[in-house]
Amino acid sequence: MSDVDTAGGMRRVRSVLQAASGGISRTKLLLVPLLLFDLLVFVAPMGYLLRISLAERSVGGGALQRGTWSLDGYQYLSDSSVVTTVFTWTMLFAVVATLLAVGIGTLYAYAAWRASGATRTVLLAGVVMSMFTTLVVKVFAARVMLSPEGVVNDTLLAAGVLDSSLLLVNNEIGVLIGQLYVVLPYTVLAVYSVLTGLDESLVEAANDLGATPVRAVREVVLPHAVPGMAVGGVIAFAWSAGAFAAPLLLGSTSERTVAVEVQSLLGQFNYPAAAALAVVLTTVVLVVLTLGIVLLRRRGGLRDV
Amino acid sequence: MSEGPPTRADGAGETVESGPTPTAGSRFGRVAVGTWLFRAGVGTVFAFLLAPIVIVAVTSFGDSMVLSLPPETFSTRWYESFLDSSRWQRATRNSLIAAVGTTVLATVAGTTAALGVRNLGGRAEGAVLGLAVLPLLVPGVVLGSSLLVFLGEFGLQQTYLAVIAAHSLWATPLAFSVVRASLSRFDPRLREAALDLGASPTRAFVEVVAPNIRSGLFAAALIAFVVSLQEFVMTLFVSGRDTRTIPVLAWNSLRNSLDPVVSVVSTLLVLVVVLAVVVGSLVVGLERLAADT
Repeated sequence: MSDVDTAGGMRRVRSVLQAASGGISRTKLLLVPLLLFDLLVFVAPMGYLLRISLAERSVGGGALQRGTWSLDGYQYLSDSSVVTTVFTWTMLFAVVATLLAVGIGTLYAYAAWRASGATRTVLLAGVVMSMFTTLVVKVFAARVMLSPEGVVNDTLLAAGVLDSSLLLVNNEIGVLIGQLYVVLPYTVLAVYSVLTGLDESLVEAANDLGATPVRAVREVVLPHAVPGMAVGGVIAFAWSAGAFAAPLLLGSTSERTVAVEVQSLLGQFNYPAAAALAVVLTTVVLVVLTLGIVLLRRRGGLRDV
Repeated sequence: MSEGPPTRADGAGETVESGPTPTAGSRFGRVAVGTWLFRAGVGTVFAFLLAPIVIVAVTSFGDSMVLSLPPETFSTRWYESFLDSSRWQRATRNSLIAAVGTTVLATVAGTTAALGVRNLGGRAEGAVLGLAVLPLLVPGVVLGSSLLVFLGEFGLQQTYLAVIAAHSLWATPLAFSVVRASLSRFDPRLREAALDLGASPTRAFVEVVAPNIRSGLFAAALIAFVVSLQEFVMTLFVSGRDTRTIPVLAWNSLRNSLDPVVSVVSTLLVLVVVLAVVVGSLVVGLERLAADT
């Protein structure tokens, strides 16, 4: 083997290595900001929350005893009947809110998708505007609107639909309507974004072939909309399980959610119990979402067969 | 209406179809009724979505402490009290600081990650995607409390940094998704051609990639800005008296009593957002903005 060959071979090897490592490290470098951010602002704080949930509650002064290990926080949760009731109610509420949001959202997205020109723009603008309005404003306005002397009751009374005002605030209905304000725009847009990938003439074709509009939607549009409905449903469930503003402003004490309970435990400086409840809530939400997605995937696979 | 006309999208007509085959005439009649019901439903939802905006706009011009709809007399006195209020001005400034900080942080982290994740492939890509989107699925109260206790350890709670970090938790995944959607429409061969012609990766990004995904970058920044302006739950936990944003101050004011200034601020906030959406749809196109988020 001559010197020249060795040198040339070395150079080639080095250039290949450089290209490879250069490519990899550049890709990795691009991911650094996001990973660093998530590590510092998401992973570490959530880890710390988990750690606090396993600390001892300090009696008198201070929110917890640092460096201690105990299951007091979780014990407190399982002993408290209030927490169990609140948890059950929150999950039930989240399921109902999700079903309503996905149902209404799909309907609205379909309407926007079928509409043309100005109507489509107006329908979409309504959703985008609502999505971009802070939830404090939406919930506050919902309160003004739904109160016994509010617009909704006035209109229904004037139209003769009602004999006496409906109670729409300080109960489940108020909380549900308020929560729909929070999640509906997202479910609409999630479904709309997958529908944009569907050729509208397929629906026309189904109609021409004699399908009723309902059947055309069920057999042509719905299968295509399922991924969007799933994304919308995931968002709606996660946010409704964590509902906070709507229950506080539109509900009464019997519509307390887990999130409200977490805040009140923090306020009582029972950090271990608050952290434990937050950990349980997050775990339940993520497990339910994972199960839902797996189930949907399996059913979607069956449909394809 | 004993059997109920079929509505078009909710499958309510399924049970009706299982009956004897309807004649052509009654079928068309029912379709027409269904169409009208469907339109009325969509119209109701549309009104429902926009009602809050109309309500705050109208009540902001009222003249009394009591919110009445419509107001008996119109005045701009609550706009004047907004302009005179140092609390509200401080909150406005805080909101802007948080929104600008969030826009920068979320757009940079989201864009770089969207560029980087394309070359990963396989499990690594799935892992990054999952981590990037996960914060969106964790309840705001949980994120807020975790940041409160964690940053509290370093004495960083109630700082602008805490508020910006919290807002970016939700803005970054959205910016990331928008840029990724935009990149998927970009032909990677254009960038390869630039590299083959001797451009450095940085130059290829600035001169070839960025102009092609400009609308995506703009939409990402816009969404990050608006997410920050409207975020409330996490901010309630991590902000303090000096750093609280408009939604938090509005919440605090509403907890005590109905405050007409909240209507004024809400109206102004909505105006800012309308402006952003209008500018956004002029640059990007409303349909793209709606489909990508």
